[in-house]
Amino acid sequence: MPPAEQALAPLSTGFRCLPGWCMGLNMDLPAGALGESGERLRLSEALASVAAGDKSAMKELYARTSPKLFGICLRVLGSEAEAEEALQETYVAAWRKAAAFDSGRASPITWLAIIARNKAIDRLRLRRPTAPDGLDSAAAIPDDSPSAADTLEQADEARRLSLCLDSLDAVQSRAIRGAFLGGASYPDLAASEGVPLGTMKSWIRRGLSRLKKCLES
Amino acid sequence: MSGETFPGGEHDRDWLAAEYALGLLEGESLAEAQRRLSDDPDFRREVGGWTGRLAPLLDEVEAAAPPQDLWRRIEPRLAGAGGSGTAPAAAANDNLAPLQRKLALWRGYGAAATALAASLAFFMVVRPGAAPVPSAPTPVSPIPAAGPAPLVAMMESKDSPVRLVATYEPATRSLVVMPAAGLTRAAGHSHQLWLIPDGGAPRPLGIVTPGAPLRLALSGGLAPDSTLAVSVEPTGGSPTGLPTGPVIAAGKLVRT
Repeated sequence: MPPAEQALAPLSTGFRCLPGWCMGLNMDLPAGALGESGERLRLSEALASVAAGDKSAMKELYARTSPKLFGICLRVLGSEAEAEEALQETYVAAWRKAAAFDSGRASPITWLAIIARNKAIDRLRLRRPTAPDGLDSAAAIPDDSPSAADTLEQADEARRLSLCLDSLDAVQSRAIRGAFLGGASYPDLAASEGVPLGTMKSWIRRGLSRLKKCLES
Repeated sequence: MSGETFPGGEHDRDWLAAEYALGLLEGESLAEAQRRLSDDPDFRREVGGWTGRLAPLLDEVEAAAPPQDLWRRIEPRLAGAGGSGTAPAAAANDNLAPLQRKLALWRGYGAAATALAASLAFFMVVRPGAAPVPSAPTPVSPIPAAGPAPLVAMMESKDSPVRLVATYEPATRSLVVMPAAGLTRAAGHSHQLWLIPDGGAPRPLGIVTPGAPLRLALSGGLAPDSTLAVSVEPTGGSPTGLPTGPVIAAGKLVRT
């Protein structure tokens, strides 16, 4: 038998594969054995079980992701009490919408992070008298966002976005971050930079144009 | 900043999706965005695109431990299988129906592949050689009228949404692999198709791309019970000639 074949481990599916190769089929690997892409796989699995109504999978999902999502809620809302409310709403929404999660389009943690961010922004808008309903978290989840094949690629995406944001004028990148992560609206941003609303609008729109070009190049 | 070109569009409505995704809107423009979100699929896609573009920013946010008892406050709000569905604020897990629909759809692919195989077989029997004349004589056709039955493989994995259907025509030794669901283009990666003979080592067959059938003429025949599998590999395929990345779908070739 050639050495490569000796290294093949038999699988229940009737064919063989190299150790570490059949991650998609051979599930009972020790925690941490797979590194970050293994974590992604675990979360995808947990979400699939949640979609089938499995509460213990939901508990596992909560245990693995709640610090990250709580951090996001805190960042947007700036208040522990409100962040706790937003976090609860996030997991209730994740429970409801798990079947809509498509691992080919987004990583599980990104999917959950977007729900958390949108739920937090919903709450922020509720504080304001002009707010009608707020963002619809489920609808705002990316439909056709570029797929991230693994967390490594996700880290690449984060780096690329960060580089592109840094290539903008400081006020533009500050405003874009302030809106997406801090929940700041146009009037908030105009006030904090001390410029008229119209000026802030054209700054941000120019910034977004350049950002999009940079990300696509 | 003045004097710069403004390629994204001059009108407020050109920016509504991006501004909604960023969370910049208030009042009337927010209400308008919400209206369009519910009845304009293009607008929804555009919002999704911007959200996806900016989502990596969420990576920057520091994690923070929520209070210990928070899960106990969430759990009663989850209704559904085995849960306390009587809690007033409980959220129904409305996933079961779509899941069953997906399953039915996937079973449909099986039926469709069988139909495809049947129609291919039919086509081969009646096809009058290379001449496109319907009445051309067929006796010289090298294709036997009743050749061996085609083989079909449904390729899937419970851990990925990827589904592919493969049909192998023994008479012509042609293999057609059609991605049916879940396969998406990913920068820096290729999806490589492998043949694993029963009890043998994987052999690379080619690269599958989303939305397009992969057609191969195989020099050797394919035996039933061989497995076809797709793994994620560096662009262009595995550098070692053996799979190096995760398997995202696999299935055995069976007779139709």
